Amino acid sequence: MQKILIAEDDETIRRELKTFLNKNGYEAEALESFEHPVEDLLARKPDLILLDINLPLTDGEYICKEIRKTSDVPIIMVTSRDSELDELICLNYGADQYVTKPYNIQILLAKIAGLLKRSQGSAAPDTVTLSRFTLSISGRYIEQGGARRELTKNEFTILYYLSLHRGAVVPREELMDYLWESESFIDDNTLSVNMKRLRDKLQDIGAEGSIETKRGQGYRLE
Amino acid sequence: MRLSAYLKDKWPAACCFLLSIATVEILLLAWPLSAAARIYVCAAPVLTRLLLLLTDYDKKKRFYDDALSKLQELDQKYLLSEVISSPTFAEGRILQELLEDTGRSMLEHVNEYKHAQEEYKDYIELWIHEIKTPIAAGKLLTENHPGETAKELQKEFDRIEAYTEQALYYARSSTAEKDYLIKRTSLHALVNAALRKNRAALLKSRTALILHDLDMEVFTDSKWLTFILGQLLQNAAKYAKAQDSRLEIFGTTSPQGVLLTLRDNGVGISESDLPRVFEKGFTGENGRLSGKKSTGLGLYLCKKLCEKLGLGLTLSSKQGVGTEARISFPLNSHVYF
Repeated sequence: MQKILIAEDDETIRRELKTFLNKNGYEAEALESFEHPVEDLLARKPDLILLDINLPLTDGEYICKEIRKTSDVPIIMVTSRDSELDELICLNYGADQYVTKPYNIQILLAKIAGLLKRSQGSAAPDTVTLSRFTLSISGRYIEQGGARRELTKNEFTILYYLSLHRGAVVPREELMDYLWESESFIDDNTLSVNMKRLRDKLQDIGAEGSIETKRGQGYRLE
Repeated sequence: MRLSAYLKDKWPAACCFLLSIATVEILLLAWPLSAAARIYVCAAPVLTRLLLLLTDYDKKKRFYDDALSKLQELDQKYLLSEVISSPTFAEGRILQELLEDTGRSMLEHVNEYKHAQEEYKDYIELWIHEIKTPIAAGKLLTENHPGETAKELQKEFDRIEAYTEQALYYARSSTAEKDYLIKRTSLHALVNAALRKNRAALLKSRTALILHDLDMEVFTDSKWLTFILGQLLQNAAKYAKAQDSRLEIFGTTSPQGVLLTLRDNGVGISESDLPRVFEKGFTGENGRLSGKKSTGLGLYLCKKLCEKLGLGLTLSSKQGVGTEARISFPLNSHVYF
């Protein structure tokens, strides 16, 4: 399991962030004292550091700079300062990413996943194999047996997100959030239309019924 | 200073002077003098006097005209004493001293308020950054404890966040300080960031988005602009029609620069309200519609922030048809350094 270290002085955030990351499949630990943050952080050999900028005793920017002297561990700076200049300063100190409070937790999760993937050098698998068909990420198509159907950007984004949460019910709003984050600014009706087309394409390759609609709850990909 | 005005001032003295010359001439009648001598006695002092008067006039005219023209050029008129040239006559020096004293007192006053405002703004900024921590904590709590209440709370946190952001930009808009950073960015990136941030309101209003021609590059502070666009998007969502709501966002280029247009088919603004929409606190007919919760701050802030960034913001609308907001980015050669 990948270890994420949280350097954050607000107790509630520290606790809830730990809970949230643990629930999402990471081993999350938090820094409890800020006497020697740089040594403490490095000694625990984290795979990623979530570093708040406003810490007692030493500020995050300094810590970031110090860590960079000896380590390339991915660092996400968390700050409540949101000006363009602050962002520039953070990235200059060697942070890999920059998120502003109050952050959208799903986006934070996506950033963590992205950074970890990049730092471990494990190239993302190009195809996702699902129970009844495979989804090609670079080619943006679905395939089963010899049958193949190209997907539009929206259809692909929907199916990709469902595949990330395979077996679980994904609420419509969450799917919508992800689509908008991926810059597919579609409305409710368009989502329904895309869903219908996606199902038709799945049927074409003989994988009908792969996406289940849970009334009032969302969608589930088997 | 005009000569007639100057002479008018000197009139009583001149009269006395001429009278005394006349008196002398009358007294001299008691002596047998030649006509030339009599003319000389009269002309010499008059001419000398005239010469003195003209040189004095010239000196004063130069001083006052110079002061007036410098005053015209000054933005802060109370700094006049700093720029005028030292007068060579006594009255002028008194005037200069007076100006210096009042100017200094004014400057102290102005600086005091500037300082107080700066301090207040710093406090507001600090407060806003502090409040973001509990908001973030609250949001995390709702995320970790899902349910109906959590969903409702999440919405409330979003509202708190929006108001907080508005306060931050209000503070930033009202100081003379330049706390933005101009960078090269594309309309595409700006619009996407604003759409992502305001997705809840847009989705709720069931507005269909039509985006095209957004590849142009512009120079601006993207954070500020995302906020401005956000306010315009919120308005579009707030005043959208219940059916077939559409919002078209596109860029156009002209020799003057780049124009970003947001065109909706919402309820529109009445002709009588339109000239006042950028006024602070103005809510108009639409603002009084039930459930709209207009603060009258959104567009006011947009305008002020645009002015600070050197952008143009115009709004046109037809009641019942829709509203069009346009932001113009001038093609400034000085931003290319």
